[in-house]
Formats: sequence, C-alpha cells, structure tokens
Amino acid sequence: MNKPIRIALTKGRLEKDTVGLLEKLGFDCTAVREKGRKLILPVPDANLEVVLAKANDVITYVEHGVCDMGVVGKDTIMEMKGKFFEMLDLGFGRCKFALAAKKGYDFYSGYGIKTIATKYPNVARSFFEKKGMDTDIIKIEGSVELAPILGLADGIVDIVETGTTLKENGLEVIEDVAPISARLIVNTVSLKMRQNEIEKLIKLIEENL
Amino acid sequence: MKNYDLITPEGTKDLLFGECVVRRNIENTLLKLFKSRGYSEMITPGLEFFDVFNMKSRYFPQETLYKMTDSKGRLLVMRPDSTMPIARVVATRLKDAELPLKLCYNQTVYRNESALKGRSDETVQAGIELIGSEMKMADLEVISAAVDSLNAFGLEYSLELGHIGVFKALVDRLEADDTDKEYIRKLIENKNFPALNDFLDTFGNTGVTAALKKLPALFGGEEVFEKAEELIPDENVKRILDELREIYRDTAELCGEGGNITVDLGLVNKTDYYTGLIIKGYLKGHGEEVISGGRYDKLISDFGYDIPAVGFAVNVNAVSKVIERNGILPAELPPDVIVFAEDGCEVAAVKQARELREQGLIVENALFSDIESVREYAKEKKIGRVVVVGCEEGE
Repeated sequence: MNKPIRIALTKGRLEKDTVGLLEKLGFDCTAVREKGRKLILPVPDANLEVVLAKANDVITYVEHGVCDMGVVGKDTIMEMKGKFFEMLDLGFGRCKFALAAKKGYDFYSGYGIKTIATKYPNVARSFFEKKGMDTDIIKIEGSVELAPILGLADGIVDIVETGTTLKENGLEVIEDVAPISARLIVNTVSLKMRQNEIEKLIKLIEENL
Repeated sequence: MKNYDLITPEGTKDLLFGECVVRRNIENTLLKLFKSRGYSEMITPGLEFFDVFNMKSRYFPQETLYKMTDSKGRLLVMRPDSTMPIARVVATRLKDAELPLKLCYNQTVYRNESALKGRSDETVQAGIELIGSEMKMADLEVISAAVDSLNAFGLEYSLELGHIGVFKALVDRLEADDTDKEYIRKLIENKNFPALNDFLDTFGNTGVTAALKKLPALFGGEEVFEKAEELIPDENVKRILDELREIYRDTAELCGEGGNITVDLGLVNKTDYYTGLIIKGYLKGHGEEVISGGRYDKLISDFGYDIPAVGFAVNVNAVSKVIERNGILPAELPPDVIVFAEDGCEVAAVKQARELREQGLIVENALFSDIESVREYAKEKKIGRVVVVGCEEGE
C-alpha cells in the first residue's frame, strides 16, 4: 500500500460535513468520529489520513505540501490567498461575505473616508479597492457587530449566514461581497506526483455531492 | 532602544557545516553539469536598477522587491531574478557575440516574501539560458539538461512539460477584454474548476469555452494529447500539440527509468513571459517545484535585441531541503592530521604542515601549548594523526 494521502480538515462544522461526505462515499470514519484528542487520524479503507487543523493552518499545510489536500472555507482562501489548486466546490458551509452597517445608515453618502471593522482585512481592502474607495480598515478579533454600535466604525465586512445576529444588533446588509462555501484544495506537486489516487478520490466526491 | 544584533532578518539564515556541504555539493554538481554541456558561467550584480525588472514582459510586484536608492537617488533593487539581468547583458555587451549563446549562473535572488510563512527571502538559483536558437533541438537540449540535473540529486523526481500556445490560441478566440482574460488565466493556473466554469458560462456555450473549461484537467501522461486533440479541433493547436508530443516522447526516452515525465496543458503561469514550451521539475517530498523554466522569445527584445531564448533555473535551497530531510546529509570531513610545534619550532611545523597538504591531506596547525591538550582535541574532533615537530618526530 502506498503512503496514505493526507487531507487537512478545518476543525468544527466543515470537519463534520466532510466526514459525513466520506462516509457517504462508503469509507469507515470511526477513528475520526471517536478521535478524542488526537489530531491525525486514519481512514484506512480510503488510504487517507485526516489531519485536523484551524482554517488558516489548513492552507499553510497544503501550500507547503505536508498535507496533500485540504477542506477549507472560501472565506479563508480569500483572506489568506496562497499557491494551491482549488479544485472542487463542496457545496456545504454555505454563507456569504457582506458589508453591513447600522439600520437606516446611508453608507455610501458623503465625502468622508469610511471606517470598516472586520476580521478579514484583506477581503475588505480588496472589495473597496475594486470600487476605488479609500477606507480605514480596523482589524477586530471577534463580534465585529460591536464596532458600528460602539461608534468605532461606519460599517463591517463579515460572514453572514442567516442575518439574525445582524438584525438583533440593529444592523443590516448594505451589499453582498462574495458567496462562500467549502472548497477542496490540493497541493500543486501532490496532484502531479499522485495524480491517479487524487483524481480518483475527487471524481468519487464529485459524483456524490 | 531595541537591538537586533544577535539575530538575522526574517527569511534569512546562517548555514553551518553539513548544511554548507550539501548546498555547495548541489551548486558544484550543477555548475559542472552545465559547463560540461558548453555553458559559460556569468555573474551579474546583486544590485540592479529597478527599471531592469519593470518590464511589461515580466511583472515583478513591487511589494516583493527589496529596494533602495543609489547616491543619485535612483531606485535600485536587490536582484529578484537572474534571467532579466542576463537578458540585459545579452542585449548590450553580447549583442555582437556569435549565436547561439550558452550561459549559466549560480547566484542568490532576493524576494520580500510575506512574513511567518516559512519562506526564504534569499534563494540560490542555478540555471542555464540558451539564447539565439528557435530549433526544436534547443528545447530538447534544455530539457535534457533539466533531466540530468534532476537525475544528479538521486531522488525520485518528475519532469513536467507544458506549452503556453494552447491557452493563448483558445483565449484569443474568446471575445473578452484583457482583464477577463487575465482572470481566466488565473483560474486555470489555480485549477479552480468551480469559478472557471461559472465565469466561462457568461461567455456562452461554445467550443472555445468548453475547451477552456477542460484545459486545467488536461494533465498526466501521453493520453493527454489525444484528449486535447479531440477537445480542441484547431489547426494551430494541433501543430503545437504535435510538436510538444514529439518532445514529450524524446524526453521520456531521456528520463528512462529514473524519473516520471508528465504533461500539463493547464500550466499558464507567467503568460506574458513564456512564449512556448514550459518546464517544471518536482522532487518527491517537496511541496513546490524545484525546477522552473521554458521558452521566452520576446523577453530580450524588451531590451532592444530581438532573439529567442530558452532556459530554466533550479531552486538550490529547495533541493538542499529535500536532501537534508531525506537524511542524506554528508558529514563534513574531519582533518587528517594535526601538527603540533614544540617551542621554537613553529616555522618548521608550519612548513611540515604545508608539505602534508601538498600530498592532498587536510592539515591543521595545533593551537595549544601542550601536547596533551592537542591529543584531547584531536580525539574530540576525530583527527586520525597527530604530528609533533621539534626534537623528536611524532607518530
């Protein structure tokens, strides 16, 4: 048997969805389901080795080739960039990046430079760059909704799923920035060196999406 | 004030002992290989004018360049690449030289990589440039040099060929502006099938869009050529594919058992730079290519001399890393002899050491005042022989 293919999964919901998908393909994921505190787990009948990591690290591991493939959200890809093949839209983990502001606030009015609070400064910057708008971008680590309420920012760029959090905090979506879903990424060299195995797996996944 | 006098800048490192041996072994092997094929070595300055790299045929994002100014306030950069400086030399001092020119180099390039990503800002590249020939034989010559380079490392490798012409022929038939074409190129480069499909759907469902959608999937062995021909019924493309297939077969023969040879028609990086063949080399256990090159017939014309060229560069740092990780680290050889001078016999000892060196031995002069310390030092450093110069001859 060849060395197993290493696939890095983003811990949490994407991990569960991916494991569900692998089980749907008929692979035995018991070890991953009963993982305890282990971070590297075998899926022997698929000759896979699952690595559990934070979203940003999934990209780092795949980029360096220590993991051959990875499952990560488009949000992380847009923020981190990097050199890898983005081969499949897995369809789960759907949500969107959106620009939001206090309800009733006319965001695009006036000449003043707008201040944007976000956990995703690169996404926010490139969104406003495309519009040719100068903005002040402030990086916030969590609960970005606070920033406009507290008066720190005019708007936020953040992930929106149902919009409930926005609504409950008196904010509303001004404009959608980009749709998000989970992606299957592949290291550029792994795809070439282990083409048959990886292509077979991708084909199988594609047929079962 | 904070001092940074005990550390090196991000993206750089000191190499010690075995690491140096590995690195120099690779450099020497490659230079010897290139020279044995008739290539002459060139050394270009570490500092160049920014303008050399600010050409339309090759775009170096300014945030990746290390910049400074000279005494007249002109913008300088630390060389981010060796091909552009060589093109500059060819178009100036070598303008009247006999063609083809066969040049090789082994030098450091500098790029300001993003921090904390585990990348090196300082990379040694060893490579060749074959200038002034458009023949298929020139492509084959460069490919075979790449094969021999990969073979020399004694590791499992894969050589990949591509041709920018296929993508160019297709995208030229698409009614799209340059921004859209660049976006399509980027999506193909990243094999981003979902986004590529969505975007191409906006151009309608034609033979061209269907072919472009499939382009990033056209990689693998020789079967790729048949698939491609079926998919892209185009005279120009067929000619390119036939040519590439011939080179593919020749290369497969050259590789023999040692390496794997593949083709990827979705290799579309640096389209403004490459004009034909693209070459990539991979080593098992390294996540990025270790060889990168191809044909760039329009590059030197940016400097005012219109001649074709083909070449490649080996990322020496990457190869060292793979070799070190595989544990094939050659130990630095200990000296063969240590020569100890008794009081008043220093000159005789230095002369004796010189004589031993002339016999091809590695010889140290002892820097201790008593013979016991010398013996202890020799034992510690695994030096086989201690020679005492003075009243009595040593062992």
